[in-house]
Amino acid sequence: MSPEGMIVHGETLQKRFGGITAVDAVDFSVAEGDLIGLIGPNGSGKTTLINLLTGHLLPDTGGVFLRGRRVNGLAAHGFAALGVARTFQLSQLFGRMTVLENMLVPGLTRPRSTRTGVARRARTYLEFLNLAHLQDLSARSLSGGQQKLLELGRALMLEPAILFLDEPFAGIHPHLRDDLIQRIQDLHRSGRTFVVVDHDMESILKIARRLVVLARGQKIADGLPAAVRSDQTVLAAYSGL
Amino acid sequence: MRRLHVYVLLVAAVAALVYARGLNSYWLHVAIIAMFYAILTASWSLLAGYTGLFSLGHMAFASIGGYASALLVLGTGIPIPLGMAAGVALCFAVGGVIGWVCLRMSGPYLAIFTLAFSEIVRITFSTEDQVTAGMAGLHTTPLFESVSRLPYFYTAFGLLAASLAVLGIMVHSRWGLFFRAIREDEQAAAACGVRVAHFRILAFAVASGFAGLAGGFYAHYIGVLTPSLGSLDLMAIVVVMTVIGGMEALPTAVGGALAVEALLEYLRFTQWRWVLFGLLLLVTMRFARNGLLTPVWQQFIRLGDMRPTPPAPRGVEREGSRV
Repeated sequence: MSPEGMIVHGETLQKRFGGITAVDAVDFSVAEGDLIGLIGPNGSGKTTLINLLTGHLLPDTGGVFLRGRRVNGLAAHGFAALGVARTFQLSQLFGRMTVLENMLVPGLTRPRSTRTGVARRARTYLEFLNLAHLQDLSARSLSGGQQKLLELGRALMLEPAILFLDEPFAGIHPHLRDDLIQRIQDLHRSGRTFVVVDHDMESILKIARRLVVLARGQKIADGLPAAVRSDQTVLAAYSGL
Repeated sequence: MRRLHVYVLLVAAVAALVYARGLNSYWLHVAIIAMFYAILTASWSLLAGYTGLFSLGHMAFASIGGYASALLVLGTGIPIPLGMAAGVALCFAVGGVIGWVCLRMSGPYLAIFTLAFSEIVRITFSTEDQVTAGMAGLHTTPLFESVSRLPYFYTAFGLLAASLAVLGIMVHSRWGLFFRAIREDEQAAAACGVRVAHFRILAFAVASGFAGLAGGFYAHYIGVLTPSLGSLDLMAIVVVMTVIGGMEALPTAVGGALAVEALLEYLRFTQWRWVLFGLLLLVTMRFARNGLLTPVWQQFIRLGDMRPTPPAPRGVEREGSRV
């Protein structure tokens, strides 16, 4: 797949840590309006791939392209400035800052942003995520699910072209998980592009329009969810055969 | 009247300026030294409290600022304010370089690195006695010809007020949010678009510049400058003052400097004063890690605010107002 026309394109990406190849010659492309589920067993390289595609890790070989422009070596804040937002596997909020302040930080990094305008936008997103009533509380005092929602809100404050969500459903209350799924679907309908990494197949299958499967650092499947689910290689990877 | 605390502070500042005229020379000296420390604690608070960079090199920058100004004034005859400004500029630049070198360091690694830098500076000033007069002390040009300490008091007051104004504007701006985001989580801050390296270097440079300002003033006030200005002992006092007051807000850091300096003078009659000082630090670390003055300050800034504070939901922590 060529990098042109893609929001994000990773070309034969490889990343090694010591003797372990975490990501091994993976091609990965995301087009405008995609909602991709990125799945795979533990240690298959999903988070490493996200780190490579968001500037948090530098690939050993291969290239990362944003809208066709090669951006290898660009720092993570540069990716954010170009519209690439992400959340983390374990919520990484600014714990001793308030919920509202967490939202202000990304908003105020945007050029020509004003505090009043950013605060107004932050409150709108907090309303959308049902967190408005918590805006003056410290972020560390929120429940796990609320923290995931706040991380999503913080990513949205960048007005990103693409959002990478790393295990957004892990360890959260089923009620809040459904809430989060609903919010992701609403945002996707409004034109947002997502890559969602998770182990929770049930949740991923509810939302993904395309599934990409990694195993042992390699991409073993990429296609429509129905086709990928019945793929024998995928079934073997998940069953450990 | 939501800004009542601001007016109370302004009235207190005017009262201090008027009251200073009635102070004897000894207490004027104590007040001047307290304000010297207050500039150091406020700027160290920007670095350690707001940005989370626990540097132990702050007094090295005070030393660099002091020697740079003193030597320039002695060597070239330039006016003292110009010498002090040069010292500030030099500390800003060197601080930026140290910040750049330390970009990948945090916690104990950063503390040890800056401690080593501080010792290198102190030993260099001790050893290069042909230039600095070493431990014999460099006789500096006094800021004022007057024998009275009052002009020094007003100068220290002005420098402290100016420092707080600049630092206050910084921490209340979007930069303040970015500094705190870096303190909380550098990776998440970068993911939010914060230029982490840029703001870490900026925090180092600005804090070092203000340390240089304090050092420059001290050099032209105290009359004899020795390398011990950059000693670990004085660094420990700055850290302890900031921690006892509260390192995550400028007013509490300044309050820590003023309170601890005054307390040390009141306790001068007893040989146990350093023990009591240590006990105070132990109590702070055990019962009030965010500083003894933080709850006092949070109450104070609510003066005149008639809006009721809504109760926090059970088990949920409400973040205190930050200044």
